[in-house]
Amino acid sequence: MTDRSYLGEFELMILLAVLHLGDEAYGVPISRELEKHRGRGVSVGSVYAALERLEAKGLVSSKLGDPTPERGGKAKRFFQITRAGLRQVNETRRVLTRLWQGLPELKGERP
Amino acid sequence: MTMWTVRPPALATWLLQHFTFGEVDEALAGDLLEELRSGRSAGWYWGQVLAAISVSWRRDAISCSSACSFAALWAILTPSWLLVVSQLEQKFHFHAHIWRMDWPWSTILDLGALLLANLAYILAGIALFLLADLWLRRNLHTAAFLRGMRASLPVMVALSAALIILPMRFLAEERSTNLLAEIPVGASIITHIHPIEVARIPPQETWEAQFGEKPVANRPSPLAAISDRREPAILVRLPFFLVILLALRGARSNLGRRQLDAQDRA
Repeated sequence: MTDRSYLGEFELMILLAVLHLGDEAYGVPISRELEKHRGRGVSVGSVYAALERLEAKGLVSSKLGDPTPERGGKAKRFFQITRAGLRQVNETRRVLTRLWQGLPELKGERP
Repeated sequence: MTMWTVRPPALATWLLQHFTFGEVDEALAGDLLEELRSGRSAGWYWGQVLAAISVSWRRDAISCSSACSFAALWAILTPSWLLVVSQLEQKFHFHAHIWRMDWPWSTILDLGALLLANLAYILAGIALFLLADLWLRRNLHTAAFLRGMRASLPVMVALSAALIILPMRFLAEERSTNLLAEIPVGASIITHIHPIEVARIPPQETWEAQFGEKPVANRPSPLAAISDRREPAILVRLPFFLVILLALRGARSNLGRRQLDAQDRA
């Protein structure tokens, strides 16, 4: 049996947002990306909490950028998905795709 | 006014700096400022700060239960400490000496001594925890600890005022007086602040005779005070719990992450 834990919904969204953003993945754009696709506001603190969890699991890595004046001299923390993170995203996608494929059209669903 | 000159609400920023325990708080503060300056409202900023504090405390309570447990334990012991202080006061006739002075010095010195005694108790608890922590070879960060202390002291004063002094002043006199009289520190405050009770203070020459050596009936032992679950005893414990918890949480820090940050900057 492999030692594998699947990603939570919010964690998966954050990993996908980090992938979308590439080199520009830090708190503000990640939050905006999530807001854009979820259609509702998101707490930046929650985003950081999830990113910390992902970093502790080794799925993302982070590094500090340069402090900028529009941020009051505070540095950005840029996040990047790791190889293990990428593997985990692909695995989750594979499992979810299979599960969705096995489902009939859901009642009340409007494509 | 350009967007760059927009200033965030000062109180919200202070709360964010002192009441979040994450390692990315600087990045988070920068993100919130950047968003504010790109057109978000002050209300949005406040909402984000409160959400960040809530998330931080929730996560912290789960991941760092040792500090929570220790703060609870130390707070449970608080009535015993206050009882010991009260007994020492009586033994050395501390109040008799202080009340020979003119107002406001008598009240200032009395409350100052009370605050010092409480601080000594809190610092002793924190020192004990830190020693145990060092013994267990965990990461501690002195600067973060001092930050925790700086944040906790005003909270202690505010909470003490809210939970002890203000109820005594503004609630029904008899009830609040009775409540406070059940705890040593409360009895001291009643005697020295409450205007009605101040009027009842005996003349200087009879003070020692009345309060110096007089045995007090039904005085609980420090050991019995530990299990005191009455309303005033719980009220007294609460500020101590929060202050110790804040200080200990400030002391906890992921030193490794900070070192990595320093390397990144270098």
